Amino acid sequence: MARRIRLVYTAAAVVPIALLASACGSSGTSNNSSGSSSSSAPAAAMVGPALPSKPSTTPKTVLETGSTLLYPLMGAWTQAYQKEFQNASTKSPYATIDTGATGSGTGIADAASGTVDIGASDAYLSSSVKTTTPTLVNIALAISAQQINYNVPGVKNLKLDGTVLAGIYNGKINSWNDPAIKSLNPSAHLPNLKIVPLHREDSSGDTFLFTSYLNATAPSDWPSSLVNTTITWPKGSTTAETGNGGMVSGCAATKGCVAYIGISYLQKTQAAGLGTAMLKNSAGNFVAPTPATIAAAASAQTAKTPPSETQSMINGPGANSYPIINYEYAIVNTKQSDGVKAEDIRAFLHWTVHAGQDGTTYLDPVDFQPLPASVVKLSDAQIAKIGA
Amino acid sequence: MAASAPAAGPAEGAGDSPLSGLPGAGTPAARRGLDVIRWLGRIGAIIPLGALICIVIVLLVEAIPAFRYNGTTFFTHSVYTPGGGGYDSAIVHTDGVAHQTGATFGFFSSIIGTLVTTLIAVIVGVPLSIGAALAIVERLPKRIAGGVGVFLELLAGIPSVVIGLWGVVTFGPFLSRDIVPFVSRNLPDVPVLNYFKGSMNGLGQSMLTSGLILAIMIIPIVASTARDLIRQVPILPREGAVALGMSDAQCAMRVTLPWIRTGLIGAIVLGIGRALGETIAVAMVSGNNTAALPSDIYGTMTTIAATLVNGLDSAFGDGSGFSVRALAELALVLMIITLAVNVAARMLVRRTSGAALPIGPGL
Amino acid sequence: MSSASSARPGTTAPGSGPGVGAWPAIPMRRRVGNRIFWALCVIALLLVITPTVWLAVGVIARAAPHWQWSVLTTKTIGATGKDVGGLSQGILGTIVITLVAVVVGGIISVLTGVYLSEYAHRGRYREILRGGYEVLAGVPSIVLGYVGYVALAIGLGWKFGLLPAVVVIAVLTIPYITKATETSLAQVPVSYREGAEALGIPASVTLRRIVLKTALPGMITGMLLATAIAVGETAPLLLTAGAGGGNPSTHLTDNPVGFLTYFVFTFSPNVQPNPAANYLAYDAALLLLVFVLVIIILGRIIAARARRNTEQ
Repeated sequence: MARRIRLVYTAAAVVPIALLASACGSSGTSNNSSGSSSSSAPAAAMVGPALPSKPSTTPKTVLETGSTLLYPLMGAWTQAYQKEFQNASTKSPYATIDTGATGSGTGIADAASGTVDIGASDAYLSSSVKTTTPTLVNIALAISAQQINYNVPGVKNLKLDGTVLAGIYNGKINSWNDPAIKSLNPSAHLPNLKIVPLHREDSSGDTFLFTSYLNATAPSDWPSSLVNTTITWPKGSTTAETGNGGMVSGCAATKGCVAYIGISYLQKTQAAGLGTAMLKNSAGNFVAPTPATIAAAASAQTAKTPPSETQSMINGPGANSYPIINYEYAIVNTKQSDGVKAEDIRAFLHWTVHAGQDGTTYLDPVDFQPLPASVVKLSDAQIAKIGA
Repeated sequence: MAASAPAAGPAEGAGDSPLSGLPGAGTPAARRGLDVIRWLGRIGAIIPLGALICIVIVLLVEAIPAFRYNGTTFFTHSVYTPGGGGYDSAIVHTDGVAHQTGATFGFFSSIIGTLVTTLIAVIVGVPLSIGAALAIVERLPKRIAGGVGVFLELLAGIPSVVIGLWGVVTFGPFLSRDIVPFVSRNLPDVPVLNYFKGSMNGLGQSMLTSGLILAIMIIPIVASTARDLIRQVPILPREGAVALGMSDAQCAMRVTLPWIRTGLIGAIVLGIGRALGETIAVAMVSGNNTAALPSDIYGTMTTIAATLVNGLDSAFGDGSGFSVRALAELALVLMIITLAVNVAARMLVRRTSGAALPIGPGL
Repeated sequence: MSSASSARPGTTAPGSGPGVGAWPAIPMRRRVGNRIFWALCVIALLLVITPTVWLAVGVIARAAPHWQWSVLTTKTIGATGKDVGGLSQGILGTIVITLVAVVVGGIISVLTGVYLSEYAHRGRYREILRGGYEVLAGVPSIVLGYVGYVALAIGLGWKFGLLPAVVVIAVLTIPYITKATETSLAQVPVSYREGAEALGIPASVTLRRIVLKTALPGMITGMLLATAIAVGETAPLLLTAGAGGGNPSTHLTDNPVGFLTYFVFTFSPNVQPNPAANYLAYDAALLLLVFVLVIIILGRIIAARARRNTEQ
């Protein structure tokens, strides 16, 4: 009898262990058995046309999450899309798209592990992710930019450059009336106020863009090891906020703060009384992030976009170019598990790079710029690769 | 009769339990019914153990390679660098574990943050709880005491995320605007008190706020247990104290509290466990400063739990999977700290009998 | 003058503790010390009650002015923009996750509690099991969330969904329900069992009809405690039910489910500057407070009925 009991105990304990051993075996470190073999795998099977003009009539839910910079536009897009393509009698959309604002890093991670279908990111795919999951692609959806905001009462049109910003975030420049800032702004009344630099605590494409700018303009103060979606912030910046929205609230609540915030929050930052800095570009001019300067920076660089659409547009050429602009990417796995869902994903993304590029309806409210025709073609080519 | 009944395994109380196979325990059908319940019970009892074993196995499998690679830097530095070469660092292998070149992970500030905020929570929360419990039992009329009990239950039940919301919207700004400037200005200029001079950010995110929020969370646990325990202290020792001429206060300090020492320590340990593991409220009010320890109590910081909840979602963006492992190591550290606290409390407290409230002769 | 005789046994009548003021020989120092001590205790009590009141008032004050009943029935649309929608998936998700997790956890825990208190009497096995539950109770919820994410969501490929969420919450609540079951079973008077034996009632029937029935209020209180815990959890659900999910359905995996605490966390003013989203956060906080209040009231009703039944 005692033996039987022990047998039962062992069996009941082994079952969950075996279950989880298999789980651990296939967990994170070696997920996606793709490895090196899928480069020679046949092209993904396609259900429906390569670039569908509308979603399939089977109701499906497409999951999206990621960049808080793209989130307001993604919300507007999905609402309009679901309204346009719905079952006329039941009023329920054919493709329900759930959006989330968890940060670009999470968008890439979730797209890589398959927990969402579309990951939104301000940063292109890193080489480590591309090595582990070669079937991921980053598809450009729009051109966005990043502003540097500050909360210094009585100061407008502050001029900043990469060296000063690196010094601020390094902790070398502590006060707003520091000579380095004064030298860029001789006529401004800079108070003796402590600078509180904010950074993003979630894994963020905005962090990637900001640190890329710092490294591009002040490499000796900001080495390339400090360019990433999550970094070890130097002691200068001790307060972190969640999401672009958190940066806005945090900066508004803290006098003397400086923060990097996506352009889609321009109206919010202005309503909160935060100033927008004029940044020094590669030509040495100080420019504010206006549609004109963003478009100027884009037109100088979009011709060089490769088919993979992986391109950094930080500190680009042009006398009137704004130095921090980027593509907003949809990170999608071209090897989906469900052919019909793949068709819905293609239909939605195809819609965003055509009908969704309308300025007045979608892009102007978030201060984005539309993709030029050449890049739309590249995006379409990548969208067409998404299959099962 | 008992030997033939399948009830009598050596581990199960043969004859001890009033329900196991006694002569005339019933018809074979009834005995089979008993067997079914016992087998179901065995299966049910194993499942939580199995879950625990699984948790430990998953953590160990993920964390041990990271532990070997990270070494002592993990505990002595505050670093989060998935790739030393920046965003596009290549993946290499060391000792069989994949990571990006130059990957460095250190969570010193998180670990210290957890310990310090828990310490603040205990220093602030335990005296308040005991004082409140004494006041409830010995000073309030019985009806009001019942009403106050509702408040304690409500406080215990409020989701921690709601407390965090209150922290960033009301409590934090209140501390930052009204309390901290006053305290900072008026503290004497003694070097040891410099830790209490400084300013908080606008939302009140700081080590002090985190500690106070954690105190609010452990107060209901300790206070309601203390209240129940104090109620059960027998009248005889208290009357004896009074007969000796002690005042109420001395009676409370020298008779009542030592009497409930055992159970009180148990409750405090429960509270510490909750404070150590508290995630969301701290993530909202701590300021999430992973870079360094704050220079004063009003500076931003972070804890292990907050670091985990903020970093796990995106950790899979590290293609080598090493960030996930580093976080597993951090989770393991938290579990070990919690276990150590529980074990230490066990050793402090004498084992008392089973299911009743653990009070005994504490003197 | 001494009021010691008027005090009920076991309590001290307020303000009339024997020894204070009745014996003129007590030095002033001790009397003053006594008053200060109890004044501090009352201050402590006020400090303990204040956060609850402040919090409840604050949440209600912020949620009530903009409350619309449509919040209960509309789906969430998004955090930006003028129309943010309502909380319908969050409410449904919280209810479903909590109910299923507590039922599953409850069944396992009750079986465990019965086994521990009725069968496992010999030292070693019982101590091992007991020790295991203590350790499980001490595992922080974020660690459970980690394991749920890495092993269940990613490792087993369940992705975000109802199944991993329910598993994690059930494991979280099992120690509490087990403890409550064990305690209440142990408090069933031995006379009940002895009486049943004397009447010749078979043991299994005794267990079912008499012991479990008497212990039922205690077990239900344990389950209510588990429900309160499950309703208020955020971190493990973020990692298993997903961020900002939809309605629960029969699709148990790869189908993120919304839950109320997510909205308090993500739509709060320190993350979202959009006032409409902040109102949703306050509304969600208010709903959570209401849930918890209902659970507490239910618990008290059950405890009162149980006391009435046993005192007959």
